[in-house]
Amino acid sequence: MNTATQNRGILSALYEGRISYIRFWAYIGMMLGATGLALWGGNGYNEDNYLFMLVSMQGLIWLGTGGLLAAGAAIVASMVKPGVLRNTAAAVMVPWFDGGVLMVALMAALTVFEPAASAVSYLDQSNLFAGKVIMTMNVLLLFSSICYIAYLFAPESFIGKMATLTAWLGVYAGGSALLLRWYESYLLLDGEIGHAPVSNIYEVFILLFCITTVIYLQWERRYDAKAMGAFVMVLVAAGVFFGVWLDSVGQGEIKPLVPALKSYWMKIHVPLNFVGYGAFAVACGAGMAWLFRARLEVNGSSALLRVFPTLDQLDQLAYKSVAVGFPAFTLATILGAAWAAEAWGGYWSWDPKETWALIVWLVYGAYLHVRVSHGWHGRTLAWWTVIAFLVTVFCFLGVNMYLSGLHSYGRLA
Amino acid sequence: MHTFKDHFKTFLLRLGSMTLAIVILTVLALASVIGTVLLQNQSQADYLQQFGPIWYWVFRSLGLFDMYHTWWFLSLLGLLMASLGVCLWRQIPRILKDMRSRKVTLSESAMKHMKHIQHWQADQLDSTAFIEHVKWQLNGWSFREDSYADTHYVRADKGRYNKLAYILVHAAILIILIGGWLGVQYGFRGDMAVPEGSKESEISYLKGTSTEYMKMPFEVQCNSFDIDFYPNGMPKEFRSNLTIIDQGKEVLTSDIIVNEPLYYKGVRIYQASFGDGGSNIHLKLFRMDGTSDVAEAQARVYTKYKDEKSGATLEITDFRPHNVENMAEADQPKDFKDLGASVDMIFRASGVKPVKVRSFIDPFVLEEQNRGSFFQISLSGDTKEFQPFALGLDFSNEKEWLLFVAFVKHLAATEMKSPEDSKMAFKAALDEVFPDGKPDNFKDMAVRVMQAVQTIPRLPWPFLPVLDDYDQKYYTGLQVASDPGMNVVWIGSALLVIGLYIMFYVSHRKVWLVIKQHEKGYSISLAGMSNRNPLNFDREFHDILSNLDQYTRTFGKGDAS
Ligand code: HEM
Repeated sequence: MNTATQNRGILSALYEGRISYIRFWAYIGMMLGATGLALWGGNGYNEDNYLFMLVSMQGLIWLGTGGLLAAGAAIVASMVKPGVLRNTAAAVMVPWFDGGVLMVALMAALTVFEPAASAVSYLDQSNLFAGKVIMTMNVLLLFSSICYIAYLFAPESFIGKMATLTAWLGVYAGGSALLLRWYESYLLLDGEIGHAPVSNIYEVFILLFCITTVIYLQWERRYDAKAMGAFVMVLVAAGVFFGVWLDSVGQGEIKPLVPALKSYWMKIHVPLNFVGYGAFAVACGAGMAWLFRARLEVNGSSALLRVFPTLDQLDQLAYKSVAVGFPAFTLATILGAAWAAEAWGGYWSWDPKETWALIVWLVYGAYLHVRVSHGWHGRTLAWWTVIAFLVTVFCFLGVNMYLSGLHSYGRLA
Repeated sequence: MHTFKDHFKTFLLRLGSMTLAIVILTVLALASVIGTVLLQNQSQADYLQQFGPIWYWVFRSLGLFDMYHTWWFLSLLGLLMASLGVCLWRQIPRILKDMRSRKVTLSESAMKHMKHIQHWQADQLDSTAFIEHVKWQLNGWSFREDSYADTHYVRADKGRYNKLAYILVHAAILIILIGGWLGVQYGFRGDMAVPEGSKESEISYLKGTSTEYMKMPFEVQCNSFDIDFYPNGMPKEFRSNLTIIDQGKEVLTSDIIVNEPLYYKGVRIYQASFGDGGSNIHLKLFRMDGTSDVAEAQARVYTKYKDEKSGATLEITDFRPHNVENMAEADQPKDFKDLGASVDMIFRASGVKPVKVRSFIDPFVLEEQNRGSFFQISLSGDTKEFQPFALGLDFSNEKEWLLFVAFVKHLAATEMKSPEDSKMAFKAALDEVFPDGKPDNFKDMAVRVMQAVQTIPRLPWPFLPVLDDYDQKYYTGLQVASDPGMNVVWIGSALLVIGLYIMFYVSHRKVWLVIKQHEKGYSISLAGMSNRNPLNFDREFHDILSNLDQYTRTFGKGDAS
């Protein structure tokens, strides 16, 4: 046995069996603890303070208790009924959770580079460090998308590996930059404006890049669909340029929250929504890859064809992406309605953002029906994913730019 | 012969068809787009101006200005409900039957059509142990076994309830729509503005494009209203202390903030907004008639003040205790500064076009230098078009005004030719206003007075209304709502999410193990299928296979085909 396989042995042991199962439940318990802290901790939920509540003694108690209780329950369950150890949910989810923990660790390490408290100010945020990490993410993601395109033409070279590696690094840079930004928001104005980095269009864009890339990478890992990366990452790259522009017009600054956004709902509703958007973006990438391959087949250019997944696989991947996005988006919309019910007294107001969310939902709902009922596959559905994504883009960008309503916090100046 | 019954059956078939579902979903989506592009529930005059008479008439007849409540939009939702209902009613029995039937056997011909299948031959086989091993391998699956002649069948199912998801999802949407309908039918939602120290029991709401009122079964009293600001002037948190008064009795007192409503007798009271609740404003009117007369004016926000002497009126429209502005240049770090309290008023005087004036209580101080008082003036009356107007004088110091008037008087007496003249005039004015000696800051005053001579005469008003003092009072803007359908909607939502989860993440997988005994030994077949997510099942079946493959090596002759 050489070292490589030995390493793999250790790694896979971490992701199989009892260790993985217990860790899975420990993570779930910690999340429940964090939720409990938000709902019942301290003197009630306070957005200005939540991050510090998490890392305080109190947070430690809530998260620790949740984690330990759940881990204990998992140990008992795995003793009583060893069959649960072959539960696939744990094996699938634990790497994601571990990735999250790694991001937190990375963020903690990055705080070392943060300028002294006396050197940062709300009025001039240019020397905060998260901005630099975001720039790194931009560069990595752009580089990755170029590599993915190059990979189509040189599949045997190391370029493909570079593409995947830089995409992963980009995700980690983006994720830890967002966490760092969360921390930074507490450095300003004596912690008065601290809030999770999902409050304006610039922040959620970074989130969107990370989620889109991660979902794509998951498909790449599981289904070996690397040629699709060129299409997905080009979408991400376009987003990166938009993000840079947003920053250049002052949208990148950390700003205080209006009272309506000070709610734990924001932290659930917004990220979940972007799981939906990200998955729809990946579906769009798969649809574009489908159309591209169909065109290649007509022209009979075989060199490129060999790299591409088959039309059927691409069709399946688009569907799988919608299958990830649709439930997430549905849940996010419902949670948005629950929040609206709590903040505004009504779960549905036909506000433009809500209505467009409904439109997006209906469009993807129709997509799912068309697939089942008419056995439509291929071209129509590939176009459907592309056009439906344009509708989605209008929902999260266009509405903020062109229509007014209650969601005006996302407005572009 | 088509009887009525046949027609009805075809009709139901069509109504519950997926084609109709797709059409309804698409039409609903398109209709919703109209409602977001065309701003809803604006004033009719605005629409008329925007679209011109013809389009205004067309849009109005289609109800597009309150589209989500038009008969045709509601009918569309009704059609969706009908379609869902019929579809469920037809599918439920079929699905339940489908779920219960678990045929154990698998025919040769069915096996031929399976995408996932594997055969082994074995000389000798401990079939009990082998089946046990397969069952261990398929942990969490449910099994059925049976033997027919020389063949033993094991059928394993996982995610059998996947088909239930169809029922859950569609029923959930129906439930949500019903909950929405209940809310519309039996609920209400409106706004209530309660000034500090006052009571209110009526809410107002929009019906179509007109405002309607409704009485609540209790009164809401606002005891106090507090607001915190961020350094950039954005409101950070606002909080009302409310008392509910039911039939003259105080029953409940509580604080509410945004996101934390109050609940009383099935009605929720939300903190929604705030505004001026009729603050008391004290103004000084500096007359521009050459006298040094300063009149005092007392008025409340939302009322009019009439100056008897000049006939001019001031309509007080708003009061703001803080005006935070970014004083930095466009590309410089921000520099927020509170310019202090201000009052907005519409100034009407004979011979002058009405203008909107925002008058500030404090003079403008920049780089620690007092640059005198200022107004913001909007000629159109639109607050977005306020233009700053520096007055030069610091009106918070009444002596300065006297100095100015005296200076103008003395200046008029000279020939106003040389700078010497104005120096002399200023000296004379100083002596007149400050007979006991010059104040320390007279040099600054001189600069401001000189400036005021240039600016103040440009205003054609009978007097300058300057904010002098105030007694502030907020109103709290409450949203009051009751929605008996809300819990139904939440139940439907929960079912929807659960249903979608099952639909997309739990596929119904079936695996058959067929062990056939013949003279030379055993032939073993493993077949599998999944009703969705084929990519995943490819892997899953492959995993099962490769595991069994190892096991079959122990049979001796592991001849996989
Ligand atoms: C207008 C009434 C509707 C009818 C008659 C209808 C009918 C159907 C039928 C017959 C199926 C196929 C079930 C199967 O064989 O697996 C289906 C699937 C489905 N329906 Fe509906 N439906 C309606 C409305 C909706 C709505 C409003 C939604 C939500 C957007 C929805 C979501 C779904 C989903 C997610 C599937 C599963 C698609 C898949 O298998 O990938 N349906 N519907």
